[in-house]
Amino acid sequence: MKSPLLNLIPGDTYIHKLTGKTKVRTFVILLIYIIMSFDLRLLLPLFIAGIIGLVSLRPEWKTLRYFFIVVAAVNLLNIVLFWLVNPDIGTFWCGGSRTVLISFTKKLFISLETLWYLSIRFFKMITSFLISMVFILSITPSELAAGLYSIKVPYKICTIFSIAFRYIPDIGRDYENIKISMQARGVELDPKKVPLIDRIKQNVLILVPLIITSFDRVGNISNAMDLRGYGRGKTRTYYSEHEEGRADKIFKVFYMGLLVFSAIWIVSRIISPPPSKMWYPFS
Amino acid sequence: MKKPIVEFIDFGFQYRSQSSPTLYNINLTIYQGEKVLILGPSGSGKSTLANCINGLNPFSYEGKITGSCKIAGRETKTASIFALSKTVGTVLQDSDAQFVALSVGEDIAFALENQSVPRDEMIPKVQRASEIVGMEDFLHHLPYELSGGQKQKVALAGVLHDDVDLLLFDEPLASLDPQAGMQAIELIHKIHLEQKKTVIIIEHRLEDVLHRPVDRIILMNEGRIVFDGSPDKLLTSNLLPKYGIREPLYIMAMKYAGCTFTGQEVLSDIHSMDLSPFEDKLKAHFRSPVKRSPIPVRDEILRVEDVSFSYGDGDVLKDVSFSINRGEKVAFVGKNGAGKSTMAKLLCGIIRPDKGEIHVEAENYLQYSIKEIGEKIGYVMQNPNQMLVKDIILDEVELALLLRDKSREEIDVAVERALDMCNLYGMRNWPIHAVSYGQRKRVTIASILVLQPDIIILDEPTAGQDYYHYTEIMNFLDDLNREYGITIVFITHDMHLAIEYTDRALVFSDGELIADDSVFKVLSNDEVITEANLKQTSLYTLAKRLDLEPEDYIEHFIAYERMKKDNEKPTS
Amino acid sequence: MKSTSQKILGVWNTKTVVAVAIGAALFGVLMNYGGIPVFTNTKLTTAMIIPVIVGAMFGALPAAIACAVGNLIADLIGGWGYWFDWSIGNGVLGFIVGLLPLYGANIDEGIFKPVHAIIYAVACVIGNALAFGVITPIMTTLFYGGELEVTFLQAMAAGLSNTLVLVVIGIPILIILARRNARSTDLKLEEKEEQNI
Ligand SMILES: Nc1ncnc2c1ncn2[C@@H]1O[C@H](COP(=O)(O)OP(=O)(O)OP(=O)(O)O)[C@@H](O)[C@H]1O
Ligand SMILES: Nc1ncnc2c1ncn2[C@@H]1O[C@H](COP(=O)(O)OP(=O)(O)OP(=O)(O)O)[C@@H](O)[C@H]1O
Ligand SMILES: [Mg+2]
Ligand SMILES: [Mg+2]
Repeated sequence: MKSPLLNLIPGDTYIHKLTGKTKVRTFVILLIYIIMSFDLRLLLPLFIAGIIGLVSLRPEWKTLRYFFIVVAAVNLLNIVLFWLVNPDIGTFWCGGSRTVLISFTKKLFISLETLWYLSIRFFKMITSFLISMVFILSITPSELAAGLYSIKVPYKICTIFSIAFRYIPDIGRDYENIKISMQARGVELDPKKVPLIDRIKQNVLILVPLIITSFDRVGNISNAMDLRGYGRGKTRTYYSEHEEGRADKIFKVFYMGLLVFSAIWIVSRIISPPPSKMWYPFS
Repeated sequence: MKKPIVEFIDFGFQYRSQSSPTLYNINLTIYQGEKVLILGPSGSGKSTLANCINGLNPFSYEGKITGSCKIAGRETKTASIFALSKTVGTVLQDSDAQFVALSVGEDIAFALENQSVPRDEMIPKVQRASEIVGMEDFLHHLPYELSGGQKQKVALAGVLHDDVDLLLFDEPLASLDPQAGMQAIELIHKIHLEQKKTVIIIEHRLEDVLHRPVDRIILMNEGRIVFDGSPDKLLTSNLLPKYGIREPLYIMAMKYAGCTFTGQEVLSDIHSMDLSPFEDKLKAHFRSPVKRSPIPVRDEILRVEDVSFSYGDGDVLKDVSFSINRGEKVAFVGKNGAGKSTMAKLLCGIIRPDKGEIHVEAENYLQYSIKEIGEKIGYVMQNPNQMLVKDIILDEVELALLLRDKSREEIDVAVERALDMCNLYGMRNWPIHAVSYGQRKRVTIASILVLQPDIIILDEPTAGQDYYHYTEIMNFLDDLNREYGITIVFITHDMHLAIEYTDRALVFSDGELIADDSVFKVLSNDEVITEANLKQTSLYTLAKRLDLEPEDYIEHFIAYERMKKDNEKPTS
Repeated sequence: MKSTSQKILGVWNTKTVVAVAIGAALFGVLMNYGGIPVFTNTKLTTAMIIPVIVGAMFGALPAAIACAVGNLIADLIGGWGYWFDWSIGNGVLGFIVGLLPLYGANIDEGIFKPVHAIIYAVACVIGNALAFGVITPIMTTLFYGGELEVTFLQAMAAGLSNTLVLVVIGIPILIILARRNARSTDLKLEEKEEQNI
């Protein structure tokens, strides 16, 4: 049971070769940046950078396309719902003006402001998805653990990530096996054939052994870890974290700069809030 | 003067959850550079003793220590598990649970990471350790790309750092195929010699361990040491059968031939031992007639024709054809990943062939659903915990029938029969958790038997179990076969099992069926053995040394043994 | 006997770390593969059971972390990108449903009485209301802006299906697991008693 996206072996493109530390730090700062900005001027460059990043990873477009379509569809549906609930929402975000473009009824209309607001929100969601996709495709679980440790996450939490990824294939295999043996005994899992309540009952039949066999491992694994000295010190080092290269230094300048910029941006908005809650060029 | 590295003096240990001690009165000294094997029946306290050496007792499992145990001069009562882990490197049985990191390199480095060794010092150390075990080309490999044997090597490399003087192995061979097991023993021996490490091995498979010499064997029973001496002394004594431990096959052959020992012989190495005093007896015994119970020819129950299958890329099974007769006992053998389990899944209809046909009782089975095939061919998984869903034995056994909406009377009759067959009737209302592993296995078999299948497929029925439970399960299956005529297919890595309990072996290698013959013929065919990662038994070597035809010799041995077993069991 | 703070925060030894990790892995696997189809495209996920079990054995904070990390992992292997708002909501829910040891249920020792089931059901409702009625909508609005009402409605839908699974599937599983572990302390006695009959 391997995920179509997650790779466990380091790739060989420019971004792949960065250290876990660089990847995690860049990602965290970019997240802050995305969350703070409701502004096309800030989002657009990141969107472009995200596309370049994604292309540079040479991913398998066939699998990716599916996820992009689903995420876009869900978010489109979302903004349609937003619009239905409050067609005037843009007025609040864009500084109070209301330029009605099409009016269906008195309460249901499309205004330029709402259109702008909803488009930007959609764009923001897509950008954020794009960036997290680049992150997921470029990082291995070991680098993730090492990277989280570098942003001062306690190493026991980092271990949770790496152990979880380590045992996902095993658990997936158990799950398949249990399902198989239950089917051979007559548990019908085909959704068309049985009513919901039976489906729920039969899922319990698979869950119980899965839970028991999975947690059975805990004792053995923790013994093996204790025997090699896990948890003895307050710090640890990471074998998977290779030396920083030139690219890492460049990225460091970049993400530190971005961090400073974001801090200034947030502080300045708190001190003197702009007239409208988001950047709106047509007012 | 040799320096002691492990010193138990009047040592005892009692788990907090137990009402009486598990170890009593242990007096044992192991010296620097020794290689010691610890034997004993299940539950005799071998692992408990090992865990007192590496510190898991009482760090992980609370308990009370009496007397004294010193490791490299340090009293364990006051030492931490971390301090001990610098002297003692432990390799456990479960090679999957031990592989805690995401790649080979990281797993070897795990102990160093925990000590915060800087990365530039770590790299050469990992490199060196991986070279010792021969895994230096695999540093970037992921756990599920490795075989069980390779995982064990990684586990060994992971404890080989610097100052570890004592290597402790708790059943290192349990999950390995015969070849991998042999290589592991060779590797352990090499490290023992080259790195001058003290080695303690706990293992049921005596014959496999004796592939390379050991200095001393310690035999435990019920928490006490009952023997402590040289392997030769132990082999010439009658202690092994007395405590339920399987003797090496060649020793059994010698005993069957009526050879007697004075206690002075050197027997532990079959290649170099002096056979001259026994030669006549062995040869005479070989010529003695045995009753070969002919395998009755019965109708064909299952036929597989030119079956190929792939999970996506590349065929996992290629043009496999064979047939199985009613009432036969057949073993599927072959190295890891050869396609044995895939074949079993095909037979159960869980997956369907890409090409070829499967016939059950002369009917093409493709027309049936999984559920319907389940009534003809039952599949028992290796780990009973993966199959048990109810908390009462009775509920578990009747589940398959309830799911088929049978009438109450029908269910009761079938369940009673299945429970009887498995000797579980008296326990039918017990909670599942209250029965042992072997009994649980019987419950899973009973839960398949209620459907009254003609064929049962068991995936590695004995893996990781000791000889006692092993014989218990296998004799039980044998009875099922004899008394109810159920056809049984075993998937196994254990050649002893194949020899003792099956008529025929199907040998798989990389998706192809490379041999389909009686077990002794397979085991005397060098080509097949190498290709399928099997291993010659010591009988083969013995026959060669006696200038006898190995095939005939093994066949004679098996026939004699079965005859003996039948005589002991007048029920059949 | 564990102290109250240990029941809530957990004892962070190696065993707990591993159990939380295994819990998170199970959560990730179930989230992606273990849904119960309701209509064509809607599934009830059974993953939410996992934090309950981690909580029952190791305490509420381990449950919360197993749930939050599990959610991240599910997004990661499923390919949906990171949605922190939902992870945080799930973490809060995991914490509340993981409070079992606090009101005396102890799956490890086989204690799960009807009264525990009732408290547990109430905790599930409160937990979902808090997590998906309050925390997630606030987080979403904070991160991405938007209409609180709509986000709230969506979150409520998730919360309802979660509550359903937690109660309808969770209680039978907890009962089975508790029975599996029950009486294992006086195992020997029972065997003998029954054999004599
Ligand atoms: N963690 C534990 N807590 C309580 N009792 C235990 C524990 N581990 C083992 N025991 C008990 O101690 C006894 C000896 O067990 P141990 O595992 O040492 O046997 P063993 O010789 O290694 O057996 P095997 O060959 O099956 O591995 C058993 O009766 C077992 O029930
Ligand atoms: N569900 C699956 N999806 C894809 N490939 C699989 C799957 N199951 C098995 N394989 C592959 O098919 C091949 C045969 O596997 P199989 O499990 O049949 O081997 P086996 O002979 O039973 O080995 P072992 O002795 O290790 O159990 C292996 O290369 C394995 O990686
Ligand atoms: Mg043991
Ligand atoms: Mg297999």
